[in-house]
Amino acid sequence: MRRGLGIAVWALTAVAVLALYLLAPHLVSDFHSRDLAQAGVFFIAIVGLNILTGYTGQISLGHGALMAVGGYTTAALAVHEHWRDVWTIPLAGIAAGVVGFLIGLPALRLSGIYLALATFAFAVAMPSLLKKFSGLTGGGQGLRLLEQAPLQVTGLSGTVTVFGHSTTQNHFLYYLTWGIGLVAFVIAWLIVRGRLGRTFRAVRDSEVAAASVGIDLARTKTLAFAISGVYAGVAGALFAIQAEIVNPLSFTFLLSILLLVGAVVGGLGSLPGMVVGAFFVEYVPDLSTHVSSKPGVPDFIYGAAIILVMILLPTGAGGLLRRVARPLTTRLYLRP
Amino acid sequence: MTRTTHLILCALGALALATVASGAASETGITSSQVLIGGTTPLSGPASAYQSVAKGAAAYFRYIDAKGGVNKRKIKYVYKDDAYDPSKTADKTRELVQQDKVFAIFNSLGTEQNLATRAYLNAIKVPQLFVASGATTFGKDYKQYPWTIGYQPNYRAEGTIYGRYVAKTSPKARIGVLYQNDDYGKDLLAGLRNGLAKKAKLIVSKQSYDVEDPDVQSQVAKLKAAKVGTLMLFATPKFAIQSYVYAHKLGWKPTVYVNAVSSAANIMGLATAGTNKKQTEGSLSIVFLKDPTDAHWAKDPGVKLYRSIMKKYNGGNPNDVYAVYGMSVAHTFVAALKKAGKNPTRAGIMKAATSLNVTNDPFLLPGIAVKTSSTDHFPLDQAKLQRYHNGHWVSFGGLFRVR
Repeated sequence: MRRGLGIAVWALTAVAVLALYLLAPHLVSDFHSRDLAQAGVFFIAIVGLNILTGYTGQISLGHGALMAVGGYTTAALAVHEHWRDVWTIPLAGIAAGVVGFLIGLPALRLSGIYLALATFAFAVAMPSLLKKFSGLTGGGQGLRLLEQAPLQVTGLSGTVTVFGHSTTQNHFLYYLTWGIGLVAFVIAWLIVRGRLGRTFRAVRDSEVAAASVGIDLARTKTLAFAISGVYAGVAGALFAIQAEIVNPLSFTFLLSILLLVGAVVGGLGSLPGMVVGAFFVEYVPDLSTHVSSKPGVPDFIYGAAIILVMILLPTGAGGLLRRVARPLTTRLYLRP
Repeated sequence: MTRTTHLILCALGALALATVASGAASETGITSSQVLIGGTTPLSGPASAYQSVAKGAAAYFRYIDAKGGVNKRKIKYVYKDDAYDPSKTADKTRELVQQDKVFAIFNSLGTEQNLATRAYLNAIKVPQLFVASGATTFGKDYKQYPWTIGYQPNYRAEGTIYGRYVAKTSPKARIGVLYQNDDYGKDLLAGLRNGLAKKAKLIVSKQSYDVEDPDVQSQVAKLKAAKVGTLMLFATPKFAIQSYVYAHKLGWKPTVYVNAVSSAANIMGLATAGTNKKQTEGSLSIVFLKDPTDAHWAKDPGVKLYRSIMKKYNGGNPNDVYAVYGMSVAHTFVAALKKAGKNPTRAGIMKAATSLNVTNDPFLLPGIAVKTSSTDHFPLDQAKLQRYHNGHWVSFGGLFRVR
């Protein structure tokens, strides 16, 4: 009986999420569905960061640079190799996954704040690296998909036809991004609730204890970095597809910090909270410019908002969600 | 047929007619009382000094609106902050087109920034009017991008003027160049080579920087080390000021040619304040606007009008020549809008903008006309040389036609 109720609650949640996914762009204006799509990019990157930081305990300040790897993979394939932009997404994920694995290697020797600094160095170096290989990346000017590869851009004319169904470009980007986002979310959920997720959490809680029960620390940490990198790469690819331009300026270390802010506001170690984190990162800076656009004021408001969230919700939105849902979940899972 | 059906049919017919009529008269962003235009400008970030361009233009539109607008329509000009980041420009421009539904994009600032949106605006046939960049491509490539037109004298031409002048006046100069590593800087450099012609080997050192670099200290040191005596600053204000300051610190005093995008009197004032009067003395640049800080224009009706508009319509610092630029480009837009007729369309304003002959722009140097044709998409192509003397720019020589 209780088990049946549990399944019903899950099914209802899934249906509600799916309905929201399908309806959301129709509740806002066409242009704002593009904003929603941008929030989706942050969502995917933050979910990936959460696997690494929230579940495995490895702080990364270099995820913006991993997004750059994905974004530039997409742009370079479209501009130089004439790939259709959307088909580059898997490769962008793989490329960033490989790079994620590589920057995970220092994690074997460094921990905590030292690892954070090493990844931060990667984020700081990324814009210069991009400029160094200007033949591939277009240097300081970046790659302009719309101008250099207009035929590879999906929805150039403003509409996109998928399976005979015509939709605006903004709606298409929304459905594409959040569709991938939902799949990415489910995969992340399967990872963290399974055997691998338990390994991750064991490493986070105590490396010594984890090693003593036979967990291969090196393998676990680099794997977490690689998985997280794939997420960042896919997010970067979607970023490039949406912006139709990639430029070193778009991938400064600030982006890395923004992603960490999103993960912390959303609540490290909680996956549903990442939606809140993504919306925070996407909308709060814009909202604060609405309060006043005088120089410095939006940044101040944004900073104050972060501090306020941290004081009121030290465990992030995910922690709040758990607290609110606890009466329901404890009742569901209590044995009669 | 009953009477009721008849009535309903009549009503439907009238409704259909009304829809057709209103459909013919209306263009996106235009109502009977307003024309909505928009653009991007760096209100924050490394090039935020340029925000005065948008503010000056906005003040001029408020002045025109207070006088009753154009064909009884007020001009509403919204400008959004892109922090000089091209991917933000693309985003904000989309917002202007799709969300705010502007009639045209006007006066968006920056070379890379406008390149980031040009293909998009041309694909959907939205005018990209009077781009605030002198990159040659905005005037030259009109066949491929018919919905785009520039405004200021182009950078290549500006570089050519400097090159010719150096070749003529100091044929043994050792020239060093500091340029921004993008289309804007490279355009100026190409123009300089063009102007030097056979004397192009006078260029002994070229140093570039990227706009997100924190400073140009090492570039300036390298230029000094190359024994440069004539320094070309093809750089935006922040980096131009830094160059003066670092050169001063190194005890180096070359003859400086500073490009027009950084030669505003207030920028030169900052460069002087950061060094001393000797460091900026004798710098050269081109000029096409009336400099409000130049005593020569103190009684000029154009500058008087400019000052009164700045004061009354909240344009910001009246000593900022970028605001004069903003007013001039706004003046040109008003001229184009008038020319586009009572019911302007997007195609109509493009046609008007490419058949201008404005000789009464009060903010431009006397004798300079805003002139375009179907094959000439360079509205401004005349300028004078000027020399910085005793804290002020002094123009000399005649008008160059720069093409």
